[in-house]
Amino acid sequence: MEVFSNIALGFGVAATFQNILYCALGALLGTVVGVLPGIGPVTTVAMLLPISFTLEPTSALIMMAGIYYGAQYGGSTTAILINIPGEASSVITSLDGHKMARMGRAGPALGIAALGSFFAGCVATFVVSFGAPPLARMALQFGPAEYFSLMLCGLIAAIVLARGSIIKAIAMVVLGLLFGLAGSDVNSGIRRFTFGFQGLADGIEFVALSMAVYGIAEVAINLERKAGDVGVVGQVGRVFPSWADIRHCIPSVLRGTSLGSVLGVLPGGGALLASFAAYTLEKKVASHPRTFGEGDIRGVAAPESANNAGAQTSFIPMLTLGIPSNPTMALMIGALMVHGITPGPRVMTDRPDLFWGVVASMWIGNLMLVVLNLPMIGLWIRLVRMPYRMMFPAIVGFCCIGTYTINSNVTDVAVMAFFVVFGYLCLKLDCEPAPLILGFVLGPMMEEYLRRALLISRGDPMVFLSSPISVGFLVASALLLLVVAMPMIRARREEALAE
Amino acid sequence: MVVGRVMRSLIVAPVMLAVAGAASIAAASGAAAQAYPSKPVRLVLPYSPGGIIDYVGRTVAQHLSTTLGQSVVAENRPGAGGITGTDTVARSAPDGYTIVIMDPAIVINPTLQPSMPYDLFKQLEVVSMISSSPEVVVVAPELPVKTMSELVAYAKANPGKLNFASAGIGTTPHLAGELFKQRTGVDATHVPYKSIGQSYPDMMSNKVQFAFSSIAGALPFTTDNRVRAIATTGLKRSEVYPDLQTVDESGLKGFEVDLWLGIFAPAGMPADVMSKLNEAMNKALKEPDLIKAFAKVGVTPRGTSPKDGAVFLKAEFDKWKKVIEDGKIKDN
Repeated sequence: MEVFSNIALGFGVAATFQNILYCALGALLGTVVGVLPGIGPVTTVAMLLPISFTLEPTSALIMMAGIYYGAQYGGSTTAILINIPGEASSVITSLDGHKMARMGRAGPALGIAALGSFFAGCVATFVVSFGAPPLARMALQFGPAEYFSLMLCGLIAAIVLARGSIIKAIAMVVLGLLFGLAGSDVNSGIRRFTFGFQGLADGIEFVALSMAVYGIAEVAINLERKAGDVGVVGQVGRVFPSWADIRHCIPSVLRGTSLGSVLGVLPGGGALLASFAAYTLEKKVASHPRTFGEGDIRGVAAPESANNAGAQTSFIPMLTLGIPSNPTMALMIGALMVHGITPGPRVMTDRPDLFWGVVASMWIGNLMLVVLNLPMIGLWIRLVRMPYRMMFPAIVGFCCIGTYTINSNVTDVAVMAFFVVFGYLCLKLDCEPAPLILGFVLGPMMEEYLRRALLISRGDPMVFLSSPISVGFLVASALLLLVVAMPMIRARREEALAE
Repeated sequence: MVVGRVMRSLIVAPVMLAVAGAASIAAASGAAAQAYPSKPVRLVLPYSPGGIIDYVGRTVAQHLSTTLGQSVVAENRPGAGGITGTDTVARSAPDGYTIVIMDPAIVINPTLQPSMPYDLFKQLEVVSMISSSPEVVVVAPELPVKTMSELVAYAKANPGKLNFASAGIGTTPHLAGELFKQRTGVDATHVPYKSIGQSYPDMMSNKVQFAFSSIAGALPFTTDNRVRAIATTGLKRSEVYPDLQTVDESGLKGFEVDLWLGIFAPAGMPADVMSKLNEAMNKALKEPDLIKAFAKVGVTPRGTSPKDGAVFLKAEFDKWKKVIEDGKIKDN
């Protein structure tokens, strides 16, 4: 088979001493920036760009890829330990991950995140090797109408995410959508809800919002409880997941990996949906869905695998079509062009060493991340045992620094302060932030795709029914809505009958 | 609104204090009559990492460090389509230690935005223009046109059917499309994207039919004809697409769209600082390494004197102001 000889070629390129070194460097740097709030993979890759010009292009790309997926890994660490998701994709991990940490199961949570990600990374590497060209063709089938329907489906799924009241979940989704509207409108350039602040011209910064409603709002809630001066976690418990934990997670990891691999291929925001979708799926197929949100290990395994699988397969549109899925990928395309390599379908045939070398390096990188992260777990969980009086000021400080450094913008810190109050009130009212975040992230994209689809169809809404993919997602949305509404309808009918 | 303004001044005040503080320190060191430059120079890049400005800016910073004999530190201050970063420089001390690199958005923003935090012509001045690069007109592969005149003919035969993509309202790809519509009387619908790169999948599937794209953005798709390049927008042919006619050659006389870049400083710099900075800049633009680095993304170095730069700036301001007003883009 040609694929195997290609993979062999790839490992020949990736397994040279020099490239293993750059791969390790990338993965390590990625983990570090993933853990630190504020410095994301984009900034890191941008800072390293001038250095990469002097490297061999394959080595440069291997290092940048390592930073990218390494950061996905590191992001979940803070989400689990201190409830601060630095990236949209790790918001979901904090739901059950942080609950586990508070129950003294931070070790198994981190362990399963690492192992699940490793498994997903391996599978996704094979998906990239075998399926790149057909998957790239699939990605091209997605136009504005298809993306809109996909996002709509994701948004309705967000309601399923909620643990408690469905009405509150819907309210939070809608609020998230409204917060997402702030900033310059893509279609008209008019500024909405900026109240004259220059700093709000680009909308509300995601990191400011998520750090506020997750990390700091939780600090505020904790300060209320007179729990004494102990750590976030009372006891540490075991460091690694037990065999029973792992067995319990296998189906979740498999489902998460498949979902993530497919969604990751879509450059218009698919990878973003991966962890949300995986979590929703788990909750729906689980026999005891009530444990989700209360520290269920499957609620960590599924989104983490999906997230990492998506991070790998999002290289498909970049390498085979030249279409970036996110700003980090756009930087990588820029770096390749400076080396005189134009990303596109020809890369596979013109520079097989580069294409297959990068694919093989992903597997090596994932292995390194596990080797790097598993021994770190012992250290991390000791960190959580720090007493409150040291831990909380540190969290607040890091959140402020992190939010400021993203754009060097004071307004972002002020926005964060505002949302701390908001997030605190939400927690008090038992309104969960996860649907809010999903609405906030998906809302602006949905609006953009909706209006673009209608602009191109000259206002004809039938455009959403003209392609089978779009119809498929719309039908799925309707079904999901029905699934959500069913228990409510049934409950009401029973109530009526009882009277 | 009033509350908003009060809040804003509360936030702005500490920044102003910091700036004033920095200014007094600079004045103190100036009193010691140290020759400029005695400390590192900050080059603000008002966009997010990635993209042409970032690449060109960092290349310039590197070479300017050599010719100026002081390190030049590039710093991203993104936000509000370049306004945020430009504003920090407009409000800095005019001592030559804070400069900014900007693209045509600097002359487009004042016309397009209802309010600006700074006055371009009063608070900033050109140190030197640094580069010039044409846009490339790309069309969907299904569109049966191979030249600019065929595109015009096709658009006239199919009024209201064509869409053109841009990188957002008021960006050069958008205004170039508007200018094209105004010059030819063609009717086409503007479909904005967040970046021109995002529009290519839709162009490949003929959902949008043409765009005035940056060369760097178009290259991955034109090298293997997944979209068709039909013309470039300079007055001279592009070195990247030497076989393509310019739009001017194709019959639209004088049609020129330049994705230029320039270096700006706070207005009121001492004359000796200005001339030293301009000299160093122009020397850096002649470095073979810099020319090579620019060429990789289709950019040609072009140095000017501060005076010629100012004349050029005003001409560009007037040109895009007219396009925006004639196209009623602001009222949308």
